[in-house]
Amino acid sequence: MSLDHIVTVTIGGLTVGMIYALVALGYTMVYGVLEFINFAHGEVFTVGGYVAAFTLFALGVSDQMSTVAIIGSLLLALVLSMAVPAALGLLVERVAYRPLRGRSRIMPLLSAIGVSIVLQQLIIIVFGPTPITMPTLGISSASVSILGARIRVLALVIITVSVVLMAGLTYLVKATRIGKAMRATSQDMEAAEMMGIETNQTIAFTFVVGSALAGIGGLLVIMYYGSLKFDAGFLYGLKAFTAAVLGGIGNIPGAVVGALVLGLTETYGVSMDLGFLAWFVVAGLLMGLYVQLVLAPKKRLQHISDDRRTPGYERSIANIYRLAPYLAVRTLVVERTDALRSVSARHAVRLMLGNLFLVVTAAVLFANGSSRIDTRWQPVIAFVVLMVILMFRPSGILGKHITEKV
Amino acid sequence: MGLSRMLQTLRSITERVPRRVWAVAGFSLAAIFPLFNVLGFMPTAWLRVGVVSLVFVMLSLGLNVVMGEAGLLNLGYIAFFAVGAYTTALLSSPKFGLRWPFWALLVLSALLAMVAGLLIGLPTLRLRGDYLAIVTLAFGEIVRLTITNLQPLTNGPNGVTGIYPPRLLSQGAIDSLQASGWSEALLKWLVIDKPIEYYYLVFVFVVITAFLISNLKNSRVGRAWNALREDELAAVSSGITAARAKLLSVVLSAGVAGLAGSVYAYYSNVISPESFLFMQSVIVVCMVVLGGMGSIPGVIIGAIVLQALPQVIRESAGAMRSEFEVYRMLIFGLLIVAMVIFRPEGLLPDKLWRQEVHEVDPRELEKTRQSLFDVEEGHQDLEA
Repeated sequence: MSLDHIVTVTIGGLTVGMIYALVALGYTMVYGVLEFINFAHGEVFTVGGYVAAFTLFALGVSDQMSTVAIIGSLLLALVLSMAVPAALGLLVERVAYRPLRGRSRIMPLLSAIGVSIVLQQLIIIVFGPTPITMPTLGISSASVSILGARIRVLALVIITVSVVLMAGLTYLVKATRIGKAMRATSQDMEAAEMMGIETNQTIAFTFVVGSALAGIGGLLVIMYYGSLKFDAGFLYGLKAFTAAVLGGIGNIPGAVVGALVLGLTETYGVSMDLGFLAWFVVAGLLMGLYVQLVLAPKKRLQHISDDRRTPGYERSIANIYRLAPYLAVRTLVVERTDALRSVSARHAVRLMLGNLFLVVTAAVLFANGSSRIDTRWQPVIAFVVLMVILMFRPSGILGKHITEKV
Repeated sequence: MGLSRMLQTLRSITERVPRRVWAVAGFSLAAIFPLFNVLGFMPTAWLRVGVVSLVFVMLSLGLNVVMGEAGLLNLGYIAFFAVGAYTTALLSSPKFGLRWPFWALLVLSALLAMVAGLLIGLPTLRLRGDYLAIVTLAFGEIVRLTITNLQPLTNGPNGVTGIYPPRLLSQGAIDSLQASGWSEALLKWLVIDKPIEYYYLVFVFVVITAFLISNLKNSRVGRAWNALREDELAAVSSGITAARAKLLSVVLSAGVAGLAGSVYAYYSNVISPESFLFMQSVIVVCMVVLGGMGSIPGVIIGAIVLQALPQVIRESAGAMRSEFEVYRMLIFGLLIVAMVIFRPEGLLPDKLWRQEVHEVDPRELEKTRQSLFDVEEGHQDLEA
């Protein structure tokens, strides 16, 4: 594992992660306001990419043109790939989602699936089933050298553009009037309405912003990879949704963090030797053991010391504190000390099994140390992350615990 | 306005005929359908369309259990179908040189699909509707991608070919029957290899499934599902074990899909991951929504309309086929949106669903209240 390889993979992961983030923001914003998964968001992203490529082709962009003309047409493509998806998002919200407000949860989701199919087929009807390609430009193949690694300039452009857009979005949500309205609507739609906020307009605006961001995502993807297929939005949409859930859905910084984590996991997952990946598992195991053996018993002791408020005990409790790690090991072996008082045997068995699983995984990975995961499995990584996070921690990394509204 | 009035008149006429009569009529029509082919009125291609439609009827009946009755949206339903199909394909094809008996494979396919259902059902039961939908979607995609990527086992994208036709009895039993003087013509029916035979095979399965599910629907379990769908909190407070009831619905529907998958693998002779795309799951969902969630006749009609109609149109479209495929999906998408917005209870709605989705007519409510009062007054009379 050389340094330049690490740099290449990291930057690759960040680039992909930033694109996921741009799409994930739309999911998370809409979920924050309406509590519904806008399944058609992935298709809006694809439309952005198609519009960008189509504009550049229509303008006949090539390296023979002057720099100003190239930059001008790229800017035009940028504007169009924001405007068309934004209009589309607005239309979809008006036609397919607004009539369903207040219905049971499944209905808007079904409608969104229908919209997603319609958009996909419309793309095929308008542009044909073959993938659309970018006109070849010098900038798309240019590269610079960082720490011995060759990095495409476009990757750096994508990261920069995304960071700027996210900063802009944060400003919009945190510091402007409409942002305040968005936050109020997502907190309690009825109350917001009573305070004189036009919730319908606010929701429409949320769709416009989310779709515009996804459109830019489409533009960046088609510039980076050179081509885009009509059904690309499905996979990108799902991955972005994974990212949004990973960071805690409804949470804007969470979506960005989740997207970066997902992007890095994906790229590291398929470009590292299994032996190297095994160290991550070992690190996870050690962290888990630290929590189980050191932090959790300490907390339990604290609990016990809170129970008995006698000053005389305090010193002895403090002594046990210092002995906590030793005590913890003893607990797991003997299972009969104060520290384990509030842990059920079932829980302990579950923890042990979890640890065993990690040990076995690490051993298997070390045994096949020199091979790699085939890139064909890359989409599976995202799906597995999605399932695991939804099953075990549906509120995500940064998300608050979601309580059911009754 | 004219159209809606016409529909209303039509409905008032059709509602006068009891549902039982409709069911018998539909059943007989489906039962004699292949005879049109035998008599030469209908090309064999239509019979094939009939077989596939019946497989999809089974699928949507299964999905209806989990989606219509228990109210859990499953977007990866086709994965269970795939599990059943691949179980059958691998154990009854030249791929591994195996030929397990038909009935054993049928049961095994259903069982494995149920295990898959249990695997996905157990950890996801506490998820809410839309999250559950996404997890099942991810599960479906994982199954498909795994099938595609596990080349040594499944031949990857090329699929498994040359699946043997099912024998209703083992070869030895058939031979001994022949030795004891059974006629050749009769024994030929024991090996299912013609569309008409497949048709009746699937037809029998469909009838059995529909019968079992409609009984289940009116049983204690079915009422528990409906209660969970309407209001989980209230249902749990009235003593329903939510986890058990939900798990039962997921596993049952998976079993039906596994069975359908097994039959489909036998019939189609070749299976590949192409048949188990996310779109297929959506199509099955679409069938249930179109027909009416929770309504068994509705779901059957929905499946037949969405599977048979496009096929028939495609048969007659000829040269325009590939364009038609695009428009077919477009129409499906529009259909889902339109149904959800304008008629969420489906074409042939279940009574309970219609009440849930639409505001109840105040006059009807008044009638119910009146009858309640009547009962109370009757009681008072008795006491007096």
